[in-house]
Amino acid sequence: MHGYTTNSPRNQSPIYSGHEGGSCYTIRALLSFASKSSNSESNGASGIVFEQLRAIQRDFGYLPAEQLQALATQIKVPVSHIHAVASFYPHFHLTPPPKADVRVCADMSCHLLGGDAVKHHLETSFRGVDAQEVSIRDVSCLGRCDQAPAVMINDRIYAHVKSQEAVALAQDARSGKPLPEPFHDSKRMAVVSDPYDGTGQYTVVRRFVETRNWEGIIAALKEGGLRGMGGAGFPTWSKWDLVRKEPATPKYVVCNADESEPGTIKDRGIMENVPYLVIEGMITAGLVTGARKGILYIRHEYEYPKEVLQKEIDRCYELGFLGSRILGSDLAFDLEIFVSPGGYICGEESALLEAIEGKRAEPRNKPPFPVSVGLWGKPTVINNVETFCLATVILTKGAEWFKAQGKNGAFGTKFVGISGDVVRPGIFEVPMGITYNELLFEKAGGIPGGKALLGFAPSGPSSGYLPASMATLPLDWNEVAKAGSMVGSGAIVVCDETRCMLDMALNATRFYRNESCGKCVPCRMGSQKMVEMLKGWTEGRSSPGDMALLDELSSAMKLASICGLGQVVPVPIASVLKHFPNVVDDHLSRRHCPGGVCFSQ
Amino acid sequence: MSPDGAGTSTSAKQVQLTIDGVGVSVPQGTTIFDAARINGIEIPTLCHQQNETPAGVCRVCVVDVGQRVYAASCIRQADNGMVVKTNTEPVLNVRRTLFELLMADHPSPCARQQHSGDCELERRAAQAGVTQPRFPKRTIPRGHDDSSLVIAVDHEACILCDRCIRGCDEIRHFQVLSRRGKGYQAGVAFDNNLPMGTSSCHSCGECMVSCPTGALTNKRVIGQKLEGQSVDPEVLLTLPVFKNVSGTFLELNRNAIVERRFRAGDIICREGDFGATAFYITEGKAEVFLQSPIAHVKTEGGSHGFLSKLRSMLTSRQEDQRSEESSRPFIPIDASVDLPYQNPIAELGPGELFGEMTCMSYYPRSATVRAKTDCTMLEMLRNVLDIMQRNKTFREQLERNYKKRALDSHLRSVPVLAPLTPDFIEHLRDRVELQRFQPGQIICSQGEPADSFYLIRLGFVKVSQHHPGGDIVLAYLARGSYFGEMAFLTNTPRMATCTALDHVEVVRVPGEDFRLMLERFPDIRKKLEDAAAEHMEANRMRLRQVADVPVDQFLHQGLMEAQSLLILDLDRCTRCDQCVRACADAHDGVSRLIREGLRFDRYLVATSCRQCRDPLCMVGCPVGSIRRRNSLEVIIEDWCIGCGLCANNCPYGNINMHPFPVELDDPSHPGRKMASVKVKATSCDLCLNHAEPSCVYACPHDAAHRVNPPEFFAGLLKQPEMMKRR
Repeated sequence: MHGYTTNSPRNQSPIYSGHEGGSCYTIRALLSFASKSSNSESNGASGIVFEQLRAIQRDFGYLPAEQLQALATQIKVPVSHIHAVASFYPHFHLTPPPKADVRVCADMSCHLLGGDAVKHHLETSFRGVDAQEVSIRDVSCLGRCDQAPAVMINDRIYAHVKSQEAVALAQDARSGKPLPEPFHDSKRMAVVSDPYDGTGQYTVVRRFVETRNWEGIIAALKEGGLRGMGGAGFPTWSKWDLVRKEPATPKYVVCNADESEPGTIKDRGIMENVPYLVIEGMITAGLVTGARKGILYIRHEYEYPKEVLQKEIDRCYELGFLGSRILGSDLAFDLEIFVSPGGYICGEESALLEAIEGKRAEPRNKPPFPVSVGLWGKPTVINNVETFCLATVILTKGAEWFKAQGKNGAFGTKFVGISGDVVRPGIFEVPMGITYNELLFEKAGGIPGGKALLGFAPSGPSSGYLPASMATLPLDWNEVAKAGSMVGSGAIVVCDETRCMLDMALNATRFYRNESCGKCVPCRMGSQKMVEMLKGWTEGRSSPGDMALLDELSSAMKLASICGLGQVVPVPIASVLKHFPNVVDDHLSRRHCPGGVCFSQ
Repeated sequence: MSPDGAGTSTSAKQVQLTIDGVGVSVPQGTTIFDAARINGIEIPTLCHQQNETPAGVCRVCVVDVGQRVYAASCIRQADNGMVVKTNTEPVLNVRRTLFELLMADHPSPCARQQHSGDCELERRAAQAGVTQPRFPKRTIPRGHDDSSLVIAVDHEACILCDRCIRGCDEIRHFQVLSRRGKGYQAGVAFDNNLPMGTSSCHSCGECMVSCPTGALTNKRVIGQKLEGQSVDPEVLLTLPVFKNVSGTFLELNRNAIVERRFRAGDIICREGDFGATAFYITEGKAEVFLQSPIAHVKTEGGSHGFLSKLRSMLTSRQEDQRSEESSRPFIPIDASVDLPYQNPIAELGPGELFGEMTCMSYYPRSATVRAKTDCTMLEMLRNVLDIMQRNKTFREQLERNYKKRALDSHLRSVPVLAPLTPDFIEHLRDRVELQRFQPGQIICSQGEPADSFYLIRLGFVKVSQHHPGGDIVLAYLARGSYFGEMAFLTNTPRMATCTALDHVEVVRVPGEDFRLMLERFPDIRKKLEDAAAEHMEANRMRLRQVADVPVDQFLHQGLMEAQSLLILDLDRCTRCDQCVRACADAHDGVSRLIREGLRFDRYLVATSCRQCRDPLCMVGCPVGSIRRRNSLEVIIEDWCIGCGLCANNCPYGNINMHPFPVELDDPSHPGRKMASVKVKATSCDLCLNHAEPSCVYACPHDAAHRVNPPEFFAGLLKQPEMMKRR
């Protein structure tokens, strides 16, 4: 790009010159580039950027500036663009990382269950230690809400961590000892609606290859009333039908397995236990819409589910359910896993597409929606893991069966994750219509220590908090919406009576602030200013105009933010002001925290 | 988007919508913002510009379209039947909140508001009624970047509207700017998050012109005024060297460039003068030459014993060849050509530039330039020179001219490269490239594998080596010097770090071509090896001392290296200044001795050169005529132009300017000579051709001595506590 360069002459040095093992990297990079470029659009330059950035980071521990420059020269992309991407994702380090990079999950369930104490203990133990030796920082939700608190040390995630263990692990990392493999609970969850009894049979795919009956599939999904289970609730049949009608090709099917909202763990359970239902759902979507390419976008913290999925994908290729001639027919569908470079914002569907395209995961202005202008500008079905899973359930067991599930006037089944102050946190498949009381006290075993329920979030921070009195609500889209909240992704987080709901609101708002991509003004600036205000409140500081200002700020964020993240930032504090008004009042006028959480230092 | 294919033909369908109660009809594909504008409704915005793709990030232009959330009108297309409200109370409230958020973090009044009162954020916020933001101010600083010569970057004032990025990407296609980081920490970065001045920025000014706030503003040239005819930016834009530069930007720099017309014979600048401008010849021819005699200062004793006066005179290297004197046939100057040693004059023509180093780094003029024919030049300050230097067309032109005219003489001016054959120079012509470095930028690092050999075209390069205890400057290299050969000769990684000291331009010879050169010309290899061996030996000696001695005592140790030292015993010295007077008497009235200097124990030490850890005298010589011998003693080459910079730079006063009467061409009477005085730099020579220096002889108190340092200090150095004294 620059015939005459003002940069360092390192520009000209081949990638890795002089570094041990360098040649193998160069070859690897070139090979991957060659193989990818033959299929440029679907794989794009993008995956390559992430792949190459990861390769550099693997070898150097971080991304040295001259390596980024060399990569830019090699793949003919402006270095500014590579830096823009590399500096966006938390997964990439632009400076040498400390020997022990200790990150303690700071969000909802981990915050409730001792994450702060673990972090405090770590900080005390390593006080005075150089930051290049040991660095202790917060990290956003790691998706281990049912095994809180979680700590990530040098990219390995340890769940159920006690303070002493965390210190010992950090010490090992500091002294260069290999860290133990994190424990995976591979205990299988019984999935009631699994039509296949543990092994994928792909009957929907088999049937479609014979009948080519897409109308039947659309009709069945419509009949089954399946809606997007990521939280938005858009009718699935309609999304598939819209993409099917789009004339532009190629089309894409994308599975959003990037659940990153605090409390949201249900997709992990689905992927680990019934991966074949998700994959079959994706293949079916491809066959119905005419897409020949599927991408399963999974968060990088989900290494085990990724392995499970990859095995199942490999099995599908072997058995002919995936590939250029599905079961010997003229139908084709390829499926690959895309590991997210990290960040909650990647769960926003258009940001996710940007990430796949190798850009900063900044949500797009909509419309146009992905059904018409999606991945690489082409029509794209994006559904959540659970949506693909339930689509397969409906198409195998029938819409009738699906509708017969559920109680109290609701229908269907739903996967929920329950975490926080409960005896048996975990992932559950439950009938719709079940009440939150039943979920909390029967499924999850109630509140530990015989404490009383103070409140709960039906769907992580974005649903806001509801008081104990509203636990009688059924798990029903309409009923919960009427109560001013949402069933959402079923990320139920429970707070017992010793918690401070203002502190929980601050915690949720801080999560959004940390995860804001920064693209639009209301979210980037508003989330920060709101955190500052709420932080002041938990410390008993407020200004007379705060309530009015919060109101104005909330409405600007709701109405003017580009994407859902900015729009829901005001929800947690609004719900606390609505349902727990005394809590705020106590902090501000009496400098008293009813839960004894704030003012404790 | 829709199956029936929108907006592909020119006879686009019309869509009907209502904006603020008024029915309007616009072609399909029109944004709400444009639909409103066409119909006389102004919607405020910060991030949207008509000449850039909409980004929809500031959200100031949001309007109510009857949906759950507002739409950014700059990017949302008008739909049939849409009912748009642009100024309802809730919409205005949202906008006000957005301004209030932005203003909370804005360093109001920002640079733009201060200079020209046209910060769009401050103006719009005031219009919306935001005066005192209620949100707390930002506490995490975002910083300033002062590295560009022409544009000031204040990240504090950045609102991340992306206008600069789109200006750079879409309008100029330079792709230097991007967002960096995420969320509240996000910002704008140049290249790999480099300072703007060291980035690949072309200084076209588009980003600055696009910026709505004081985040990117034009740097003014303070305290410089140019005489001459100011030039219309429109005229400048017709010159290829200003291609792709923003006209607005040139307009802002109007006072930094003027047109000068000279008649044949006019002197344009004189060697040794201070200046701050560069000249670009647009028409006519000029000749560049040295007025100073090409000679060095030689001091001789009189023939009648010691009482006679010493005599200083100018001698050329033919008559008086000093040890390690350069035998280079060309003298480097601050222009695109070198001057032949034998006849230091050359010609410059249209499209050529001179005075770059004076302009960028304020070094004295390196040569005298006279108009040969009537000519027209653009005289510019460094703002405009920087814009020009970063311009692609100019770079190409410069590189072409360099390869065509200067490469040969540049290569030949390096004595070791003398055996190069014309065909090999021809081969190199297509292979070499010019590279620029900003002050402080590292050109190559110690320990790195070597991939290039470098010749310096402009500026100064510091060669330093890292050692436990600190870095040591091995050399300052000026125009005409080369570096980077060592690693090729020894097949090792780089042995030293080379850093640009000021605005440096080097000629890069790719490693493979340099290797080829070594193979084809064993003579060159031999010479380079010999030179390298000498350097390395000198370095090794220094390092041995460094290894033993802590850094802060290195200077003391440095005394040991001198061949001989003049010391004044302060216990005996009465400060009568007889020595100084004697020195002046001996050297035509110019004393080379200043009774000040480094104290070591009870001695004041004056040496011919202190072999400083960091030889500052070598920085800035406009013609590169001061350098070190391998013995580390300073030598001033014959083409010294007497500007006095080295004398000013030497912290110990060991370099003096010696005036000599000379005859020069009389500019007002062509063909006639006139008497003039020229100065030459020289340093104390310890009256080496005398039995005793005149100062020593003159001292009535027996306080001054010329000593051999190792012997003299041997006793003192053995006592560690002596070493600690300062």
